[in-house]
Amino acid sequence: MTYPRIDPALLVETPEQRELRSVARDFFTEHGGDQWKRMAGELGIQGLAIPEDYGGSGYTFAELAVVLEEAGRALCAVKLLPTVVLAVHTLLYSGNTEACARYLPGIADGTLTATVAFGGDVHVRDGTLHGTVDYVLDGADADLVLVSADGQIFACESVTRTSRRVLDETRPQALLEFRSSPATPVGSADVVPRVRDVGRAALAAEQVGGIGHALDATVSYVEQRRQFGRPIGSFQAVKHRLARLLVEYEAARSAAAYATACVATESAELPVAAAATAVCSSAYQLATAEYVQLHGGIGFTWEHPAHRYVRRARSSEVLFGTTQDRLTDLAAVLGIA
Amino acid sequence: MSFREEARAWLSTVADRKPEAAWGSGDDSVAVFENWTEEEEREHTARRQDWERIRFDAGWGALSPFHEHLYRTEEAAFDVPRRPEIFPVTQQLVAPAIELWGTEEQKDRWLRPMRRTDELACQLFSETEAGSDLAAVRTRAVRDGDRWILNGHKVWTSGATVATWGVAVCRTDPDVPKHAGITVFLVRMDAPGVTVRPIRQMTGGASFNEVYLDDLVVPDTDRLGPVGQGWRVTLSVLAAERLDSGSLGLDNADRAIELARHQPSLTGVERQQTAELFVRTLVQRLIGLRVTATLAAGRAPGAEASVGKLYATETMRRTSDLVLRLLGPKLVADTGEWGTFAWTEHLLGAPGYSIAGGSDEIQRTILAERVLGLPKEPSR
Ligand SMILES: Cc1cc2nc3c(=O)[nH]c(=O)nc-3n(C[C@H](O)[C@H](O)[C@H](O)COP(=O)(O)OP(=O)(O)OC[C@H]3O[C@@H](n4cnc5c(N)ncnc54)[C@H](O)[C@@H]3O)c2cc1C
Repeated sequence: MTYPRIDPALLVETPEQRELRSVARDFFTEHGGDQWKRMAGELGIQGLAIPEDYGGSGYTFAELAVVLEEAGRALCAVKLLPTVVLAVHTLLYSGNTEACARYLPGIADGTLTATVAFGGDVHVRDGTLHGTVDYVLDGADADLVLVSADGQIFACESVTRTSRRVLDETRPQALLEFRSSPATPVGSADVVPRVRDVGRAALAAEQVGGIGHALDATVSYVEQRRQFGRPIGSFQAVKHRLARLLVEYEAARSAAAYATACVATESAELPVAAAATAVCSSAYQLATAEYVQLHGGIGFTWEHPAHRYVRRARSSEVLFGTTQDRLTDLAAVLGIA
Repeated sequence: MSFREEARAWLSTVADRKPEAAWGSGDDSVAVFENWTEEEEREHTARRQDWERIRFDAGWGALSPFHEHLYRTEEAAFDVPRRPEIFPVTQQLVAPAIELWGTEEQKDRWLRPMRRTDELACQLFSETEAGSDLAAVRTRAVRDGDRWILNGHKVWTSGATVATWGVAVCRTDPDVPKHAGITVFLVRMDAPGVTVRPIRQMTGGASFNEVYLDDLVVPDTDRLGPVGQGWRVTLSVLAAERLDSGSLGLDNADRAIELARHQPSLTGVERQQTAELFVRTLVQRLIGLRVTATLAAGRAPGAEASVGKLYATETMRRTSDLVLRLLGPKLVADTGEWGTFAWTEHLLGAPGYSIAGGSDEIQRTILAERVLGLPKEPSR
């Protein structure tokens, strides 16, 4: 069976999406991403993919992905991934309208942040939660934690949180310890793989933004930096490295656009598309390696932003599984045994 | 009905669906360049010409690049004659250049027979001293009243034995900078003064040739584009070639994945390598779809239209790598087993596309300079 089978028109940006991109880019350039309330109030970003019934604006994941790409380009708005992608989709997919009505309007208007804590060692005893989950995105700060335990998802607000020291400081993580923590059941944990695939699609969009930044910044640097009496960008060794990166960038954009379209249209192809985002990880890795290398000594300094992108690229490579995990998942979906 | 449904409906009235050949039987050829004798090449060409005529006369020829792509996706499911290399060269490279550069008289005379493939056209571009540096061509064209006399030696000409026309890139003014002294002509391959000699290539077959032009007389009415503007004409052909190369290698990559699926058991590394090649085929198709979807939306495609050939040549290499890992000794010694030693044709053919139509290195330079806008080398 050949993939992809989705409508090709979904792979290209609409004029409205392009408009949204430029608004988001301006916002992130001006304010950074920590203006959570402002982002909700002025741009309604948190509510983009939340249905109108729950206080959102009822657009699709495709619009959210545009914003994620811009956030990834600027390395900001870190709460988007845990709150608006992971927690929101967990709630929506749970089919629990009561939980949706309780939490989604707060997320949409910027008064509530959330995250998910899946895959840990947490159990239910006497109606409360016990156990630990590590590497929880924004775990120290998120108001609401959606945690999986014994095949169920629970909503929990009171938990002991320990911030981890992290490679990528723009993406905080924490260890969560549940000690008789009170929690409300939300629904079945069967939604976890699908939410992880949505996470992979969202991460891919962020990665594409980061690659775009690294490529743009490096191209303009090699045009302007001169050695041996000419711009270093006129040396073929340099050109060909950037041309290779451009090829990988287009591959990453294609894979990310596909994954986004699959989430937005609730396509059954999503597991394939989400696994294929492995190319976004490798392209980001290449992009940030070139970002440092082609800047020479200045690219190795603390002051230069390049290392922040290296940190983001490397830490993204292990989020929602490594490239090898994605390929193994894919082999299983395709029946390659 | 959508365009694709219409195409499918029409196809099913004139052709059979490809039989679902069981794995292990049927044609196991994965040749990148056919190892045909001259006679076989003529037969295969004639068979495809018959098919193209049926298609053209029914109104399914001469499609826009976007619709051609959709049509081809549908045609792939039907049992129609193979499409040798010279067909895309004629229909997707030469015909559009005539449309762009030809006079009204030339369009009337050439477009229909080329689109219908009654007349095929090959590219007389490369010479021994002008390959990557194509603008260094030396084949001379000298004006003689309302005709031109051509003398020179072209090499690596694919399809020269079956083509009616050759698109010849010639030097008409040796005294101006190299890009300014070039003019393009369409020459009849059966004219006196044209000699075609096959060149055997590393696959063992001979799909390209050398072509001698000795005092060849060409009427001025067969000149394509203005005198001295031949470099721009040539670039428009090369750009079309780059765009048309995006789906190279997909069929064989799909087949290599099928090969993996049919192994009794795979190691973890083999599974991953197979999944990785699958991802490449997926992404390569997505890049092509982004180009066609952008065209369909009435916009000019961006970088995605230029990276396809480089992506495709890498897919071809990775296909060789996977097959070698899966087949091991059966790839290098012919045990007679179906679908094993046949892969040597892919292994040996794949490197050709990293050279033909602008080498991988030249493609990278084009991406860097024309897409990323990096400064040119100083000494050119
Ligand atoms: C299978 C096949 C079919 C072909 N069909 C046709 C055809 O139908 N018609 C036709 O006209 N031609 C055809 N060609 C010729 C093809 O276009 C040329 O071979 C190609 O452009 C390379 O030129 P060359 O062979 O002279 O190699 P060269 O230009 O000498 O290149 C040799 C090596 O040097 C590298 N190189 C050269 N210049 C540079 C540079 N500036 N920077 C970095 N690296 C560089 C190249 O990438 C290559 O690796 C075909 C070739 C092949 C292999």
